[in-house]
Amino acid sequence: MRKLRHLIAVLAVLAGALFLTACGSDGQAPASSQPSTKTIDIKFEGKSVTPNGERVNVAIGQEVKFVVTADAPGEIHVHSSPEKQLEYGTGTTILDLGSFKTAGIIEVESHSLEKTIVQLEVK
Amino acid sequence: MISAHGIGGARDLPISPELAIAGAVAALTISFTVLAVAWRTPRYDAATSGRPAPAWIVGIVDSTWWRVLWRAVGFVLFLYTAMVAVFGKDLLTNPLFGIFYVWWWVALVPLSLLFGRVWRAISPVRTINLIFAKLSGGDPETGVYRYPEWLGHWPAAIGLYAFVWMELVYPYSTELGPVRLWCAVYVALMLIGGALFGNVFYERADPFEVYSSLVAKLSVWGRRDGALLVRSPLANLDTVTPRAGLVAVTAVLFGSTAFDSFKDSTHWVTFLQGSDYINNHSWAPTLVNNLALLGFCLAVGAIFAAGTMLTGVEPGFRRRTLPGLFAHSIVPIIVGYIIAHYLSYLLEAGEATLIKASDPFSNGSNWFGTANWKVDYYFAYHPTMLANIKVLAVVCGHVVGVIAAHDRAVKLLPRRHQLTGQLPLLFAMVAFTIGGLWLLFSA
Repeated sequence: MRKLRHLIAVLAVLAGALFLTACGSDGQAPASSQPSTKTIDIKFEGKSVTPNGERVNVAIGQEVKFVVTADAPGEIHVHSSPEKQLEYGTGTTILDLGSFKTAGIIEVESHSLEKTIVQLEVK
Repeated sequence: MISAHGIGGARDLPISPELAIAGAVAALTISFTVLAVAWRTPRYDAATSGRPAPAWIVGIVDSTWWRVLWRAVGFVLFLYTAMVAVFGKDLLTNPLFGIFYVWWWVALVPLSLLFGRVWRAISPVRTINLIFAKLSGGDPETGVYRYPEWLGHWPAAIGLYAFVWMELVYPYSTELGPVRLWCAVYVALMLIGGALFGNVFYERADPFEVYSSLVAKLSVWGRRDGALLVRSPLANLDTVTPRAGLVAVTAVLFGSTAFDSFKDSTHWVTFLQGSDYINNHSWAPTLVNNLALLGFCLAVGAIFAAGTMLTGVEPGFRRRTLPGLFAHSIVPIIVGYIIAHYLSYLLEAGEATLIKASDPFSNGSNWFGTANWKVDYYFAYHPTMLANIKVLAVVCGHVVGVIAAHDRAVKLLPRRHQLTGQLPLLFAMVAFTIGGLWLLFSA
């Protein structure tokens, strides 16, 4: 019993040391100053869409543009705050989302397909 | 349909890997430190813990006008909600959705944490039951039958599951008709239950009262024999009564919140949308989401039950009672994780609901003068601070949970099993906490 308690105390101290080291390495490089426009190609074909729910990194203040290729017109919902709705037609449409001022995950969805197209990770 | 949350815009960024690891290591360290150095004789005793609340607070809280005031506040909120549910438009600008999913479900937690049994004080179904009893000259405390002991909190667990199913799985969760129907069924069942069993039904079977009163056990407010007490949250938590179904309530609350994080992760989204089979069968996404929600809740319950039962006990002690006797100790872990999961959502969607509430019929009116407010996205500008608060909430919840479990273990378990008997539960708790941090990191 006493030995077990001793062992646990040792484990606790070791874990504590690990915790301090983990805390210590908390340096992050600041984001680059003026990023170029992020262009995301979106392709609608029947009931499928690419990309298919993947996450894309976007910097705060970076312009975002969708190049949509579609076989039927539709609407894209951007769940930013406030939300945006963008329409596209058959063929190729270029949609300008502007930039995002705050950090967060922004879901971009097609409500007619009931699918998430991309998640923009703004930071 | 996945994650088309009609309410709330951008979601929180994931926490950084460094922060997740730091939180996980802190949880591990504290767990073993508690085990190694904490007290060896039980410290919390419901019969003696706490001290009487200051006389002036008792004077206010136990007065009739105070009770009537909060019954009235709850009833006005109820009437307003019924009004927008019946006469409001089926649009996302209808404040009903925010009242239902944000004010009722999410705000109840911090309110109960600060002020105690909030839903019990404002519950409109209790108020209606009280009015019926007064009108018929009866006693609201008693009904036609005695509430059966074996039923315990099971109806509440089912009710809570019905809510999270509505919120997370049901594809039409932000349409007026279904939400209205859910509320109507809730009120109807609660009134029937109150008539059959009296107020004890609300205490044990109303999902919102059970949730609120369970979280209130982490507040400083307690009662013994009717007298208001001020207690430490840990001593207060020790007074949770282990009724049938209590473990199910905790499993639903924790499992569903974890699933809520998980279903937005890219793992789940790309799996659901990338599977040809699911894409080709329109019923498949809902079914898979249903199974995942159920799976999360069952997994939480199973891990917890295993963690508590894998210990040596005195001969003749029924091992099956252990999960219930330890169930209070998972409550702080749940509350910590719920704070982490919902903090920014509560502030942002909660304020958005207040703005929409000023225009209940979506016709441009401004009843309360809040319609022109702009939602304050404070945490979107301070993501690092938000991430730190989240990890802190999870780790604090873990610490309180581990201490609560330790005290219960030294009270219940035979001396030679007190240390080793705690280990499986400790591992279960560490698994929950690290799982929660992983979800905050990957969602």
